[in-house]
Amino acid sequence: MNFKTVAGGLIAATLVAGTAQADKLDDIIASGTLRCAVVLDFPPMGSRDENNEPIGFDVDYCRDLAKVLGVEAEIVETPFPDRIPALVSGRADVGVASTSDTLERAKTAGFTIPYFAFTNVVLTKEGTGADSYESLKGRTVGSVAGTYEAIALEKDIKAWGEGGSFRPYQSQADVFLALSQGQIDATVVTSTVASSIVDSGRYEGLTIGGDAPYLPDYVSLIALRSEYGLLNYLDLFINQQVRTGRYQELYEKWVGGAAPDLTVNKVYR
Amino acid sequence: MFEYTFQWRQAFRALPQMLDGALVTMQIAVLSMVIGVTIAVLLAVARNAHSPWLRWPATAWVEVARNTPALFQIYMAHFGLGSFGIYLSPYVALLAGITFNNAGYLCETFRGALRAIPATQVRAGRSLGMGQVMAFRLIVLPQMFRIAFLPTTNQMVWAILMTSLGVTVGMSTDLTGVTQDLNARTFRTFELFALAGALYYCIAKAVMFAARLAAWRLFRY
Repeated sequence: MNFKTVAGGLIAATLVAGTAQADKLDDIIASGTLRCAVVLDFPPMGSRDENNEPIGFDVDYCRDLAKVLGVEAEIVETPFPDRIPALVSGRADVGVASTSDTLERAKTAGFTIPYFAFTNVVLTKEGTGADSYESLKGRTVGSVAGTYEAIALEKDIKAWGEGGSFRPYQSQADVFLALSQGQIDATVVTSTVASSIVDSGRYEGLTIGGDAPYLPDYVSLIALRSEYGLLNYLDLFINQQVRTGRYQELYEKWVGGAAPDLTVNKVYR
Repeated sequence: MFEYTFQWRQAFRALPQMLDGALVTMQIAVLSMVIGVTIAVLLAVARNAHSPWLRWPATAWVEVARNTPALFQIYMAHFGLGSFGIYLSPYVALLAGITFNNAGYLCETFRGALRAIPATQVRAGRSLGMGQVMAFRLIVLPQMFRIAFLPTTNQMVWAILMTSLGVTVGMSTDLTGVTQDLNARTFRTFELFALAGALYYCIAKAVMFAARLAAWRLFRY
């Protein structure tokens, strides 16, 4: 074995060891591409325009993140139930997908500080007579499976009894279809989605039937639980988005009005 | 690489709920087969009938059932009929969709079996004084079921697996529905679906085994 082979081997070993220690944040910067899992049937957070290009709050948020990282943004369309598989299988680096930060989910995925907060309203069809949250008692209602509002609504419907039933659908589009056909009397959705769908006029006769008395639904960016470097960076990014006024700017662009507070009184994150 | 730590305890804690879901899955599959076999026999007879009024609707049924995806059929039973103001609950829509599919496939299986029974047997029966219905019931039908039995168990397994399509129309109580709900709550996707997959496998195997036993008891010469 001559000197060259040994030296070459040592250099190769250092390089291999060096890359092995690189974390997800390094990988993203090195690859030049940030892949965001975004839900695209959830306007105004994510949807597609006439040219089938992804648009929405989450899409812009991902592009902002890519910009500060100095890389290209790539939107990976991901339905709600597939957010974790997308991260774990390496199809996406970050979930910018309105993910409610439940403690149950945080056992599996890594959550940042909240980057958005939703309030929920009752969405119903004219003529059903459902005009408030309490009036949903004993009715057939539905929502997107596994979302924050779906879990809360199902719990209340079960607690109320009186023949009420809850139907979980796989996408927001199916919920609106079921509602417009009269298969379900009402749904509970985030106020942003409700006003966006009522304004669009795509489904006739849909109206907002009052607020749902839930706590604000704080949503976070998600990444793999072990990627502290990335999660730290994302926390700082969210902080900067609010500090620089970009959060308010995006909120006005996609929703309108004053952006909701992302802090909880009397406690740190 | 696969950066994920498997937590089987969390998945196994959900097992009782998933077994309840498996029962619903079985129930739908069995019901869809019982109704499907009945309709399929009628369809097979209708397809062999002389009258075009019987033949054409049966042919249309079989053509649609066999040449469109089961997912489409179930979706149509829920949202398609819904647009005409006919509201089927997710359970009924799923059952109707799979039954429709079963009947279409089984009709062709039965029709093939009917072809395998020599027409001379019926003629022999008729010459002994049997009526047309009686000859069909006593001579043709038992042989048809014997010939078509194994392909029919195939369809039974297919029916069990098709129930998983119910989630697309808001079904939440069958095995896939329960699993999908647990997945959304806990994000333990891989453990939960691996467990669901194992359960589907066991159910299908159990059905095949039961069918073997039944065939051995029923169709001995």
